[in-house]
Amino acid sequence: MTLEHIDLNIDLDDEGYLRKFEDWNENVACALADKEGVSQECPLTQERMEILKFMRDYYNKFEAFPILRAVCKNVKQTKDCTYQQFPDPVIAWRIAGLPKPTPEVLAKIKHDV
Amino acid sequence: MSETPKPDELFSNIDYRPPSSGWMDTPVDIKKGIYSYAGNPKSLEYVGLPFARQWNPIDEDWSLPENWKEIISKGFRERLDRFRSIKVFMDICVRCGACADKCHFFIGSGDPKNMPVLRAELLRSVYRNDFTTAGKIIGSIGKNFKKIIGARELDLQVLKEWWYYLFQCTECRRCSVFCPYGIDTAEITIMGRELLNLIGLNIDWIITPVANCYRTGNHLGIQPHAYKDMMDFFSDDIEEITGVKVEPSFNRKGAEILFVTPSGDVFADPGTYTCVGYMMLFHYLQEKYGFDITWSTYASEGGNFGFFTSHEMMKRLNAKMYAEAKRLGVKWIIGGECGHMWRVIHQYMDTMNGPADFLEEPVSPITGTKFENAKSTKMVHIAEFTADLIKHNKLELDTSRNDHLKVTYHDSCNTSRGMGLLEEPRYVIKNVCNNYYEMPVNTIREQTFCCGSGSGLNAGENMELRMQGGLPRANAVKYVHEKHGVNMLSCICAIDRAALSASVEYWVPEVEVTGVHEMVGNALILPGEHKRTTDLRSEPLPGMEDDDAE
Repeated sequence: MTLEHIDLNIDLDDEGYLRKFEDWNENVACALADKEGVSQECPLTQERMEILKFMRDYYNKFEAFPILRAVCKNVKQTKDCTYQQFPDPVIAWRIAGLPKPTPEVLAKIKHDV
Repeated sequence: MSETPKPDELFSNIDYRPPSSGWMDTPVDIKKGIYSYAGNPKSLEYVGLPFARQWNPIDEDWSLPENWKEIISKGFRERLDRFRSIKVFMDICVRCGACADKCHFFIGSGDPKNMPVLRAELLRSVYRNDFTTAGKIIGSIGKNFKKIIGARELDLQVLKEWWYYLFQCTECRRCSVFCPYGIDTAEITIMGRELLNLIGLNIDWIITPVANCYRTGNHLGIQPHAYKDMMDFFSDDIEEITGVKVEPSFNRKGAEILFVTPSGDVFADPGTYTCVGYMMLFHYLQEKYGFDITWSTYASEGGNFGFFTSHEMMKRLNAKMYAEAKRLGVKWIIGGECGHMWRVIHQYMDTMNGPADFLEEPVSPITGTKFENAKSTKMVHIAEFTADLIKHNKLELDTSRNDHLKVTYHDSCNTSRGMGLLEEPRYVIKNVCNNYYEMPVNTIREQTFCCGSGSGLNAGENMELRMQGGLPRANAVKYVHEKHGVNMLSCICAIDRAALSASVEYWVPEVEVTGVHEMVGNALILPGEHKRTTDLRSEPLPGMEDDDAE
């Protein structure tokens, strides 16, 4: 599947996750946020970008989905920041250009199926 | 949960009238919201399971191996020979129906094939046909006579029915409590799932955690440096809340005790607060009594989804507990709050991966209590350990810090029915909080209702099934909520903490879910702590607000 947006070719898998970690940049984030129905603004707000960047750094370091309140604490936002800003942490994860989390992760955090 | 019917709708859709056609003549209808996705072939391959492939349960063609009937038949024969219990359970059911209305999935769905007797009958009918003399003789007279003795041939429709309904059983064993013959339907489900695994028919929510666990030591696939990072985050939280710096140790050789807990505890709320509770307790004991315990980033999973796959897979994933205990040279093991973990430990581990004769019989270094019940496994449940500490007055507790909670307790199926751990968690709760209320007697202790999502069914795509299965438990929660104002449902199982959070939010949204050791952590007075103004969730404690902030 290819998403045409602001002159970008974005390579996503069948479930809407970016195939290559390194393909991501702030414009890609805008395109993905638009696709996910989160925002049509570009650049994204600072609050959102901080969450996305933290998730990417975390993934890069640990290959894991972070504890959600640890994300918010690290970017100095309220405890439910991922829900408030996106409003589903898994959508935030997709906009951050990260691969599908393991099914147990998906079941253990509160998000829309 | 967007496509799941609303609670009122789901409730009013429950129809206990069976279809007009007989059960053998009612074809299986695999429904969205009820079934779980097929296992990812990469995960099957990772642990060497056969016939890894892409397949979709709602497709007509399941891409089965050509000789699938032969494989199942051979597997069935082997298991009848290997497990005397299965042979007996196949033969002795008189179909009295005492179990019929005891299953949470039947109560919540009205689907007659969720009556334990009928779920078992799905396999038993094939057993009668293929493995009994009566079945063979009557079968030779003519196909139409088979039904008289409740026998039928295995065909694709039957196989699909097995798959659909064996993954609608949480192996909770409530039905067995009521069976006059003591038939353990969980064992029938376990065997049925083993057979399905012979032809690559697992679900993803089981097999991907299994593959993760085999690779990293835990279901979530958390690697050692990430595990440590998550625990560091909790240490910072504890320091903020109490002013005390807690420094757990990892993989430390020569420690006296190894601690193993489900990985859900280090990752997802509200389990993370239970984990914080353990950390505080261990720190307290270390400061006061020189308690010597280590965590492990290798034995980083108490749970065992291998148990939902096959006996062999269970053994393989469980092996790391004793292996790590041996490597580190500890004396014995404490295990965290988990459900099926304890069924595996209590009923299988000793004979499966033991004897652990390199370990010592567990004795609490603080109270001197010898845990006789753990003599052979060398592994003690943390609720027993903590109850013993409280009994001997070894913990300094401020119970008023749980006064904002009105608590009830959900017995996890596996710790209650599987190992008889009924009093210890209650003893702990009653000593760390002041407002405790029991749910109705036929919904607790050995009669406890399942959370509705155990044995690998805690996925997202089967949410309607989970809410159906969660109804009886939630209904009892609703009762104590309305009668006593209960606002907190406690439990000692990581799957419960995730599953009940969803089902209680759906059915009784006023109630939250907690682990028992979160409440222990709230009450425990750490040496040198400052005045607490919040609970472990960083929520303000009523009446203990920070004076300085005013």
